[in-house]
Amino acid sequence: MQANTLRLYLTCIRNTLEAAMCLQNFPCQEVERHNKPEVELKTSPELLLNPVLICRNEAEKCLIETSINSIRISMKVKQADELENILAKKFLRFLSMRAEAFQVLRRKPVQGYDISFLITNYHCEDMHKHKLIDFIVQFMEDIDKEISELKLSVNTRGRLVATEFLKQFI
Amino acid sequence: MAAVEIHQFAECITCHAWSPDQSMIAFCPNNTEVHIYKLLADKWEKVHVLYKHDQIISGIDWSVNSNKIVTVSHDRNSYVWSQEASEWVPTLVILRLNRAALCVQWSPKENKFAVGSGAKTVCICYYEQENNWWVSKLIRKKHNSSVTSVAWHPNNVLLATTSTDGKCRVFCTFIKGVDKRDLGEGSSNDLKFGEQIAQLDLSVTWAFGVRWSPSGNTLAYTGHNSMVYFIDDVESSPSAQTLALRDLPLRDILFLSERVVIGVGFDCNPMVFTADETGLWSFVRYLDERKVAPTSSKGSQFSEALGKLYGQSKQSTSNDTVEPSKFRGGAHANCITCIVLLRRSAATTVKRFSTSGLDGKIVIWELDNSIDIQQPGYR
Repeated sequence: MQANTLRLYLTCIRNTLEAAMCLQNFPCQEVERHNKPEVELKTSPELLLNPVLICRNEAEKCLIETSINSIRISMKVKQADELENILAKKFLRFLSMRAEAFQVLRRKPVQGYDISFLITNYHCEDMHKHKLIDFIVQFMEDIDKEISELKLSVNTRGRLVATEFLKQFI
Repeated sequence: MAAVEIHQFAECITCHAWSPDQSMIAFCPNNTEVHIYKLLADKWEKVHVLYKHDQIISGIDWSVNSNKIVTVSHDRNSYVWSQEASEWVPTLVILRLNRAALCVQWSPKENKFAVGSGAKTVCICYYEQENNWWVSKLIRKKHNSSVTSVAWHPNNVLLATTSTDGKCRVFCTFIKGVDKRDLGEGSSNDLKFGEQIAQLDLSVTWAFGVRWSPSGNTLAYTGHNSMVYFIDDVESSPSAQTLALRDLPLRDILFLSERVVIGVGFDCNPMVFTADETGLWSFVRYLDERKVAPTSSKGSQFSEALGKLYGQSKQSTSNDTVEPSKFRGGAHANCITCIVLLRRSAATTVKRFSTSGLDGKIVIWELDNSIDIQQPGYR
């Protein structure tokens, strides 16, 4: 059941990205000789499309904002308890600080979200579109797994440490 | 039919144009240069590189009769290049733009050309003998956003434009001293320069790729909402037809004849549209046959065995992976941005045209209209 809804959620995101990632080179209309992602500047409202919000539930959602030359994908990762919250925060901060290595990762997430990607027309020129979409979807799929694995190992380690510690009282 | 020649000239091509006799091709490899290749002994070789611009070149057009190349760039400039001996010599164009130039096209008589720009204006340029430069007259305050595409009517006076404000407009571009009033025309005779003849509000989002049919009776353009619009009799009593596609939006279109249109865009595969006897347009087919990719089994035998070793735990996770997105296209691997008709002797029924895209390929297609177009519904 759980796996099924995840698949539906990811398929929905994939199809939305497939349609939304139709980007082209587009110079700035407001500033001379500039070429900036319109989705970040938001200076010309006619160059933005309606944002799409895909929610799996209250805690897990994905916002896709599109403009003529760039697309911004922001996501909120499931955080069931405090431990998951801390793990997600630390882990995503670790990734964001290394944003250059990921090329499409944004250094700071959009407000209200845990992690954001920014894809411009230059990325679409250099990379295959289907690979980019696969990367995003794979990332979303792995992030939940990664965090629950981290949580498990923290718990296991906690249990081990506690056992070792309590051994001295026997 | 289908793709006859595929050439990988660069990493990425923004636009291309052919010389009048189609022995040479000019294209911009997504930077500030124009490369001209020539077919020498069955091999395409680079013969010229035109440097003058300092930002990416967004439009190239090569005139058929006067053998001149016009280029426009995001650096707000435009040059007209003419061949003297073996060199290409640029002539300055006074565009008077303060934003990037986006598209260019020679008029049918080649005494003018039109430049669409990010400054929400259109420049109509003509040659001034005494100064040896091209000057421009601007159509201002008519567009609410960047002009993405321009197209000349065969009568050399009417110009159609599309813009990111979603509208398609038709203007009169009559310039005193350059154009002659010929009285046979009728309605468009008493119009001044820059007068708007029609404004078509069919698209709700950005419009691209406007073209006139060879006779000038039909106008077609595309929208980013995956629609194609066909308009008959724009000057007198416009009647529009819209065609919704089930795939990704188009970027550019081309009329092969009055009844056949090719559309190219984000689907990486040219689409054929035809009109029947009553003038009703419909989608016929994709030009490139898509090879059905063999459905790969999830994971190798090894990973399956590994999954068994882990007591099904890995196996179950592989079930909720979504099938990877399909690879679009065949001849082209990325969005097609430019389509150009290849003129051949009128006797043959074979229609040839070339496309270029962000994957850096130039593909020449051949369409035998006696066979291909009569297969409706095939996909």
